[in-house]
Amino acid sequence: MKSLRIIGSAFKSLGRNKLRTFLMMIGVIIGIMALTMVVAAGLGARQRVMERVRKFGLDSLMVRAGAGQTMGRPSDGQPTATLKVEDAEAILREIKQVADVSPQLHRPQMDVKYGDKSTSTMVLGAWPSFATVWDWGAAAGDFIDDEDVAGAARVCVIGPTVQKDLFGGAKPIGEMIRLGSVQFEVKGILVAKGTSPSGGDMDNRVMIPMTTMMRRIANIDYITNIKVRLKSVKDMDKAAGSIKALLRERHKTASGIPDDFTITTPEEVTETAEKVAGTFNLLLILVAGVSLIAGGVIVSNLMLISISERRKEIGLRKAVGAQKKNITLQFLLEAAAVTFTGGIIGVALGVAGSKILEIVTKTPTAVSWPVVILGLVFSSLVGLIAGIHPARRAASIQPIEALKP
Amino acid sequence: MNDFIVQAQNIQKIYNPGKTSEVAAVRDVSLDIRKGEFLGIMGASGSGKSTVMNILGCLDRPTSGTVLLDRKEVSGLSDDELAKVRNKLIGFVFQSFNLLPRTTALENVELPLVYSERANIGRLARMALEAVGLKHRDNHYPGELSGGEQQRVAIARALVNEPEIIFADEPTGNLDSRSSYEVISLFQKLNEQGKTIVLVTHEPDIAEHARRIIRISDGRVVEDRVNENPKSAEEELRKLPGKEAKE
Repeated sequence: MKSLRIIGSAFKSLGRNKLRTFLMMIGVIIGIMALTMVVAAGLGARQRVMERVRKFGLDSLMVRAGAGQTMGRPSDGQPTATLKVEDAEAILREIKQVADVSPQLHRPQMDVKYGDKSTSTMVLGAWPSFATVWDWGAAAGDFIDDEDVAGAARVCVIGPTVQKDLFGGAKPIGEMIRLGSVQFEVKGILVAKGTSPSGGDMDNRVMIPMTTMMRRIANIDYITNIKVRLKSVKDMDKAAGSIKALLRERHKTASGIPDDFTITTPEEVTETAEKVAGTFNLLLILVAGVSLIAGGVIVSNLMLISISERRKEIGLRKAVGAQKKNITLQFLLEAAAVTFTGGIIGVALGVAGSKILEIVTKTPTAVSWPVVILGLVFSSLVGLIAGIHPARRAASIQPIEALKP
Repeated sequence: MNDFIVQAQNIQKIYNPGKTSEVAAVRDVSLDIRKGEFLGIMGASGSGKSTVMNILGCLDRPTSGTVLLDRKEVSGLSDDELAKVRNKLIGFVFQSFNLLPRTTALENVELPLVYSERANIGRLARMALEAVGLKHRDNHYPGELSGGEQQRVAIARALVNEPEIIFADEPTGNLDSRSSYEVISLFQKLNEQGKTIVLVTHEPDIAEHARRIIRISDGRVVEDRVNENPKSAEEELRKLPGKEAKE
């Protein structure tokens, strides 16, 4: 009963001085808001990586030309010219865990024209197996077939974005488009895939037979990457090892010389993401910790100021019978209530901020409730700790203070 | 009626003892107060009368000497034990009212009860406000009340936990004469109902309302007399012009 009344006193005094209460809260509000938003952004980024891995396929791995290119970026200077279509054929032929392969050679940007219309798109040379390995075939018309590859046919399958840019509403199948100086007949339209997890437009592409790509567009005899689909997810490590050995042998890489290709398994991507997320989380804890400590210092200081303003009140409370512990409890509660309320407001603003961030930057965010709850618990704790010194000082004020004019 | 509520023996209060700034506020005061007394403590400012009151009221400790409150030794008690004694036995009224700002009259009156073990504090506080004639002002803030009303709220706060003794330190110091008489009249009524009242004042006119008057000078009791004919504040109020117009 008595404790309840003292709790009541604490809340009443907070209500009586709203500006002071708000100022005390503001540090914690900002800290918790930042924490919520940064965690949401971080988790969003991680989910994006997971989504990418899931879309890529857990039963697949990627072989890229060049060493140490996890992000698929050409290394300094010349592109690595050692990965060949024959390597893809060898992988399919000699590694028994492999179900299918899809070698690719792409140009990130080329102008494509239809009549007087023109657009910029990615051009990708591929085998018919692309459709099954990537699970990405033609939605209308036909995909590239074996005959097209054998004859280096000048046919193409276009993405929905290219279709929209060049043809508008008109039917594209059977029409001729131009890539550079070469005419291509549109034989199909790709299934729409929308935006990639990294924000690119996956539908802005033109696919042509690998042979056509090599001879008529790129004029090179090497490729950029091979996606390998396995018969079973369980064979991932074994298959990756075998492919590595096979390619080293085929490329005549002496022992001690690093690979001239990079094999990326979904597991590696996930691991990297986890590692990045782990570092990120550590940073977050630091950021949150620092901002909460700053908030706590603000609370502590404002409480000390408020206590010197409220000496008379405290003296009076003691004069009419408040014991030290009653005053201590009241001020600790005031501090904890301030920071807890600040925490709640911070979470609310953080969630709202994350949504705004999502809309503005077009990258997904994910609010993590455990982190939010942890933040609230933490903010109350900060209040309690920040309140200890002021509360003790308040409790030590003598009742005689109440009598001083 | 012969029970002693306060028995003080040779109390001394020395500030900064042993230093060059040593000041003896109370040199040697022995004083007994019986239950039901209305005692006026007179003295010029700096005479030590407030210090005596603070010591008797357990707000301060004597440097030496003993104080018995309701026959219990209090000079050796801890801060928290003294707080309990103040809460149970003593009510205070101060010159500057000392009401909590931005807090309603009712909540101000409740304050001593917050720190007591009693239940129904709202009801008790309302009764105390009624006793000082301010029941209708329960939801007003101190800023909305006149000085006299504020002091009556403070008296209700002093009364609410049914203390044995009320110490009032210059309760009329910040009031006009009408409000002063109203406050003194209230004390006289409470005294008639059996409350022990200790009224500290430097105004002889106010002190004359007490039934026993002591005078303190330079930290000693220099006079202790029974006031055979205490003034009635009620009568003086009646004599004041324009009472009807104000009420």
